[in-house]
Amino acid sequence: MLGFILKRLLLIIPMALIAVSVTWALIRVAPGTFYSSEKKIPAAVEAKLREKYGLDDPWYKQYGIMLSNIARGDFGISLKYEGQPVNEIIARHLPYSAVIGLLAYLLALAIGLVAGTIAALRQNSAFDYASMAAAMLGLSVPNFVLGPLLVLVFSFWLYLLPPARWGGFTSLILPVVTLAAIYAAYIARLTRAGLLEVMRSDYIRTARAKGLSERSVILRHALRGGLLPVVSFTGPALAALLAGTVVVEKVFAIPGLGNIFIQSVLNRDEPLVLGIVAFISVLVMIFNLIVDIAYGFIDPRIRYE
Amino acid sequence: MNRSVGKILSFSLIAALLFSVLSCSRVDSGNYFGRTVPPDDNVLRYVSGAEPESFDPHISSGQPEARIYMALFDGLVENDPKTLLPIPAIAKSWQISSNVDVFVFKLRDNAKWSDGTPISANDFVYSFRRGFDAETLSRTASLGYFIRYSEDFNNGDVFVKKDGRFLLEHEVNGTEPYTVNAFGPETEFAKFINGPTRLTLPGDEKERAKLFEKDEKLRMAVDGAEFVPVSAEDIGVEAVDDMTLRLTLRQSAPFFLGLLAHQFFRPVPRHIVEKHGRDWTKPENIVTNGAFKVKHHRPYDELFVIKNENYWDAENVHLDGIKFYPIDENATILNLYKGGAIDAFLNHSVPASWIDEVRQYKDEYLDHPENATAYYSMNITKPPFDDVRVRRAFQMSVDRDALSNYRKVTKPLYDLTPAGIFPDYDKARAMVSEEMRVEKKKTPEEWAKYNRFDPAEARRLLGEAGFPVEGSEGNFACPKFPTDSVSLTFNTNENNRMVAEFMQAQWKRHLGITVSLKSQEFRTFLKDRNDLQYTGLAQSLWSGDYMDPFTFLGLHYGRQNDGGSGFADKEYDRMLDEANSELDFQKRYEKLARAEAYVMDKLPVVTLSIYATNWLKKPYVKGMYPNPGTLHPWKFVYIEKDPAKWDRNVDNIMAESNPRTTAQLEELKRTMTQN
Repeated sequence: MLGFILKRLLLIIPMALIAVSVTWALIRVAPGTFYSSEKKIPAAVEAKLREKYGLDDPWYKQYGIMLSNIARGDFGISLKYEGQPVNEIIARHLPYSAVIGLLAYLLALAIGLVAGTIAALRQNSAFDYASMAAAMLGLSVPNFVLGPLLVLVFSFWLYLLPPARWGGFTSLILPVVTLAAIYAAYIARLTRAGLLEVMRSDYIRTARAKGLSERSVILRHALRGGLLPVVSFTGPALAALLAGTVVVEKVFAIPGLGNIFIQSVLNRDEPLVLGIVAFISVLVMIFNLIVDIAYGFIDPRIRYE
Repeated sequence: MNRSVGKILSFSLIAALLFSVLSCSRVDSGNYFGRTVPPDDNVLRYVSGAEPESFDPHISSGQPEARIYMALFDGLVENDPKTLLPIPAIAKSWQISSNVDVFVFKLRDNAKWSDGTPISANDFVYSFRRGFDAETLSRTASLGYFIRYSEDFNNGDVFVKKDGRFLLEHEVNGTEPYTVNAFGPETEFAKFINGPTRLTLPGDEKERAKLFEKDEKLRMAVDGAEFVPVSAEDIGVEAVDDMTLRLTLRQSAPFFLGLLAHQFFRPVPRHIVEKHGRDWTKPENIVTNGAFKVKHHRPYDELFVIKNENYWDAENVHLDGIKFYPIDENATILNLYKGGAIDAFLNHSVPASWIDEVRQYKDEYLDHPENATAYYSMNITKPPFDDVRVRRAFQMSVDRDALSNYRKVTKPLYDLTPAGIFPDYDKARAMVSEEMRVEKKKTPEEWAKYNRFDPAEARRLLGEAGFPVEGSEGNFACPKFPTDSVSLTFNTNENNRMVAEFMQAQWKRHLGITVSLKSQEFRTFLKDRNDLQYTGLAQSLWSGDYMDPFTFLGLHYGRQNDGGSGFADKEYDRMLDEANSELDFQKRYEKLARAEAYVMDKLPVVTLSIYATNWLKKPYVKGMYPNPGTLHPWKFVYIEKDPAKWDRNVDNIMAESNPRTTAQLEELKRTMTQN
């Protein structure tokens, strides 16, 4: 087990390197620079800027400098927002995304697991149909539609919640619900499907035959097996949620990492783009690893060598 | 039984929900849009657009930053809240030489930085020199190139010293010597800066060598000479004494005073910049001299500025603070406004789909003409747009009235300079236009359509250029036109696409030509446009930097210009130079109008529309106007808590007189005539 974890941790390094390199190449290919605007800047100033950031150095030199910076864990200084270190920017904006992401994750998990479990246990009941219909709706309504819809109802009709911006608990509700909807729907469907399959399996019949209470059968035996697909889904989902979600952050004007990421790409702010890509890719890989480890605990059939 | 109880329950639940929705859907706020409640504190909440790039006024060129700099830094002059014309700020008065090439400013003696350090003329000298220093990396330094030798300094050029004296430009070029008439106190520096223009050459040796290769005479003249870098001390900026600043220009520039309100000319605190270097703009370090100072900055969330008690005019600053929210998502901005979470927001920000709804709230919706134009540049370096007839055909096959009706927030544009912004210039232009008509022997009817909308003439011109248009109304075709090599490039944006599709339909309908549309991400687009990499037409938008037609006419001035068409014409440059050295106000406008007529005859652009401001402010926000640049001198702005005094049925806020603002303005302008 320890060997497996170590191997996987080591694997993160080349994987992150590939992600960063591909991103670096893509930024190079994209036309335009961080300083371009409608108004041409003075030639001498442009020359100074290019010199300062080494933009006219051969590509392998620039690539080398970039790699050595990253190896030292220093992503450099933002090009657009002069004087702001990338590490600082990520550290500053991650908490916004993380709070919303974590709350959305917990909400999605709570709604999804409960609804999915009840739906599976009462298959073909009104609740089953209603919750699965709601889940279908949750899956098919994109969050850039759901967000404004919730704003319309809760901010403009009911005047209950602020329509956007960060500030206080009430301002979290709409973005968290918007973000959670699609994940709750997924989780509900996965839980229901997983449970239904497991409930028909031999070991559940055995458990029942042994005279265990229905409660114990479901909680101790069925859920454990039935949740495997949910676990493999929610691991990467949590990583994605924590690292910031572009659309929801834009709609609700939340200064999270997703918002910054999009802006950094549009600004051609290379160090910032690379920093965020490296950070997110490492985050996703770590969560995948956690999921794999969790598998071993949940499902006794899985063993790591 | 059970089932019916459930039914009743769910029915009453839905009914209750519906009732609560309906009963809450109308918060009575009179004829105002959404929730209209002034903030509890005396702090304005304003959406300023994209996250500011820097708080250093020398660095950034953006409008969102310009509005923030206006709160933090006071320049020599400030913009009038309605007209944008220069009004006194740190300079309490000024004198201008008869050639409009020397400006002497008297500074007020009570101006201080927010840390209490007094401001003197030396602060301005330091700031101007810093702005032009290429190391500062100012993106807007070129705006100040009118100041003598500042362009040479910014470019890193050199003077040429031979036999112990500096070579002069006219000696080498054989032109008339250019000198400045002495104006103001006589000083050593004045003798130098007023003297005949020195010869300058590129600082880079390779570039110099290239120049010598082309110009044997120049090489001979400078042979054996010493090259002395143009230094910060050589630019035409001088502190005559602590409270007197003199600026000397390289040419007459009647619009220069207005330009001085631009962020590039606002001073930075030397003692703080030298202490902290690049970090001087960090919230914990920054020191300002404007009506407000930085309280805190949470990037992408909020910039909170509070009243600067050390500001020289602090008693006339009405707000306790301003919260700038950096949001660029228009739908979100409108949501915040409707929900009463903000009091005003930046221009061009009401989403197109909301304009009809919002327009009903005329006390809030501000739809005034702007010092900004939209046009399509045509790449005149490549066929088929290297032929002026083709260009004119494209210009004359567009119904701009229909475009404006379609866009809802714009007015038709027929020239480079927007109509309705500079009324005296409009008169001069009308006069010149009449002269042109007579010269070209056109009837008034023909002339009314010239360069405007005349599809039949457009088809004739296209035929003359070798691309005959066949077919009849509603079914034209132009088979010989190289549609493959012509496209319309614009940066990805819903409004740009709307206009592009409209234009595509116009050309299809009137010329039978289908122009393909090419939507590009902004920076990709900028590169293609600025480097003339596009084929055919490219979207262009221009916001004037100052209140003078030259801000638009200058777009096609010089070899490396911002026009985006590849247009460079010595005759046009000469006409503009001549106009700018004309001292009579009205005659200058006439000369500018002639230059404009000249370039419109060559037609490097398809004109589209004049922008409207298109933003909202709550009726309780006073002293804030939809001026042609949406630039707000914040010390005039206040929040009116008494609903009786809110804007109500105001027909035109620009014509309405607010006694409080008028009095404040009059008091400020009073010093202008004192010396």
